[in-house]
Amino acid sequence: MSKDQNAASDPGGMLTAAQLAILDAVLNLIVPPSADGRMPGAAEVGVPAYLFAEAPDAVPVLRLELEELEQGSRERFALGFAELKERERRTLIESMRAQAPSFLSRLAMETLACYYQHDRVLEGLGMEARPPYPKGYQVVQGDLSLLAPVRARGKIYRDVT
Amino acid sequence: MSADVDVLIIGAGASGAAFAWSMGDTRMRILCLEQGDWMNPADYPSTRRDWEVRMDREFSANPNVRRRPEDYPINDADSPIAPLNFNGVGGSTILYAAHFPRLHPSDFRVRSLDGVADDWPIDYAALEPYYALNDRQMGVAGLAGDPAYPPHEPPLPPIPMGRGAETIARGFNALGWHWWPSDVAIATRDYEGRAACVNLGPCKSGCAQGAKSSTDVTYWPLARRAGVRLRTGCRVREILVDDKDMATGVVYYDEHGVEQLQRAEVVVLACNGIGTPRLLLNSKSARFPEGLANRSGLVGKNLMLHPWGVVRGAFDAPLDSQLGPMSCSLWSQQFYETDRSRGFVRGYNMQVIRGFGPVATARMGVARGDIPWGEGHHEAFARRFGRSMTIGICCEDLPEECNAVTLDPTLTDSNGIPAPKITYRISENSERMLRHGLARGAEVMKAAGAWDIYGEGPVRQTGWHLLGTARMGEDPERSVVNGWGRSHDVKNLFIIDGSVFVTSAGVNPTPTIQAVALYIADAMKQRLANLFD
Repeated sequence: MSKDQNAASDPGGMLTAAQLAILDAVLNLIVPPSADGRMPGAAEVGVPAYLFAEAPDAVPVLRLELEELEQGSRERFALGFAELKERERRTLIESMRAQAPSFLSRLAMETLACYYQHDRVLEGLGMEARPPYPKGYQVVQGDLSLLAPVRARGKIYRDVT
Repeated sequence: MSADVDVLIIGAGASGAAFAWSMGDTRMRILCLEQGDWMNPADYPSTRRDWEVRMDREFSANPNVRRRPEDYPINDADSPIAPLNFNGVGGSTILYAAHFPRLHPSDFRVRSLDGVADDWPIDYAALEPYYALNDRQMGVAGLAGDPAYPPHEPPLPPIPMGRGAETIARGFNALGWHWWPSDVAIATRDYEGRAACVNLGPCKSGCAQGAKSSTDVTYWPLARRAGVRLRTGCRVREILVDDKDMATGVVYYDEHGVEQLQRAEVVVLACNGIGTPRLLLNSKSARFPEGLANRSGLVGKNLMLHPWGVVRGAFDAPLDSQLGPMSCSLWSQQFYETDRSRGFVRGYNMQVIRGFGPVATARMGVARGDIPWGEGHHEAFARRFGRSMTIGICCEDLPEECNAVTLDPTLTDSNGIPAPKITYRISENSERMLRHGLARGAEVMKAAGAWDIYGEGPVRQTGWHLLGTARMGEDPERSVVNGWGRSHDVKNLFIIDGSVFVTSAGVNPTPTIQAVALYIADAMKQRLANLFD
């Protein structure tokens, strides 16, 4: 996962600029940056580009959900979602998810997939940002002397004669 | 029409590969048709950064999700468990966890011992030499001395437990319950030209290292060296028979989709518990209007899937539980043998499974509500990632004729061949067993010190073990093949895969599938002069 993906880019035109702005505002509500700055927020890791490339089938529903969010924002706060304060955004989303638990759930799952594959995130977790192959990993063998009581209890399978 | 062969094997997976290798020394003309292709280990998810996502999509074990061209769809709407498989050279061993427990002596005698189902026509003693042979050929790691089994010695040292499984082992010890390092088909040191395991982790999406013992890297190179031919991209539509009830060959579609006829003296089915009955049911003729070799009416019946539960626990201490082979560190067979005071007959295996990668940890945590959106997300993630373990509960599934593979009336594969439909329900005995296992798994987690424990089951995406749909037995009215795999109805038709299981036992079946295939191969070789009598 590249470090320099632009979170607001949409070369395919799958979302409008206004929808992208709403999406950008939603992402950090799913995964915010950590207080110590070690972990980025989800708005910093290229989720829109990931969505368009890896989960384009999720976009039509997302488009409707973003419109619903914008409409809810205007009805409740008389402002667009992107213009709300973070606390208001969170309140609105929580109330909409309370009514429909699946609201934005696909976005959340794709966001988490994108986020937890990103170099900055893996490095923030103390991991190497690399595929498992070819280097692999060290795993401790474990203490086989713990088997002593199991051995001492003896055979537990049934004899069949 | 292709040149005639002596032995035609359909399917290049666990059983087909072992059988092909064994028959290779006869120097007969042996051909295997496989609908999938050879796998390129460089394509496996572990070679890429997005391995967690890819293993849930193009390397999903569910053919209805994976949808490769060589896959056939399975209508599983009438089942709480989704059947899983893989089509390619190596078959489902490409994606299996390589957890490699044998059956126990009691598993072959369930009618005699427990008064349920039927005894097998063969027993542990008959299969033991073939288990041992298969362990050597596949390259099996483990630790000798497990008191849950008759003595046997895996040829390779066990895989590492890691801190996570060691923690669970201490929980078993606190309760005074059995546990043991699993037998695992993974090369823990360089073995027969294969490099040792380096703990890549995603074993269940193919092993890029080649350390996991899938049959494309174990049996097939040896079988081909012995002269067995393997033709990929070939999907068999039906098996043909003459008016003397002898199989004459098969009709198949080649890699270009062109219909071909392959004649053979002997036809061997190795498509496992759904593919095999599907092909037999698709091979209707005037002599066999209900499907080939189906005069018993049992082809497709008695499907067994092993209902599965999982118990997950989160621990305070960092365990590096995201590392190591994916699903096979140790097992417990404390509750394997029948004890009627538990409220059910037969038993289950407890399989200790490591934690998940970061994507799966986050997705599962958020979906369950354990990891929140927004504030507290990072703290909740950190409390689970690398600190979580799972105990799988693999329940013995007893045969019931209502659990069945049939042909779907409308669904077909890409060649227009009718696809299978499964109808399956979990029995009351299995339900009780599963509840018991979930409760015991939670006790282990608690004894091991988990701060958060939850269990669930049956888990839908766990239909790895497809068994019983062409059972073996001596009575032609109560079984499809005899004790050495020959069809009662068609004397030159053999079945060597999980379909022939009489009962399912409570463990992963691959070593037994392969031991049975090797046993049948030897039985055939010993009877070559009068094989069809």
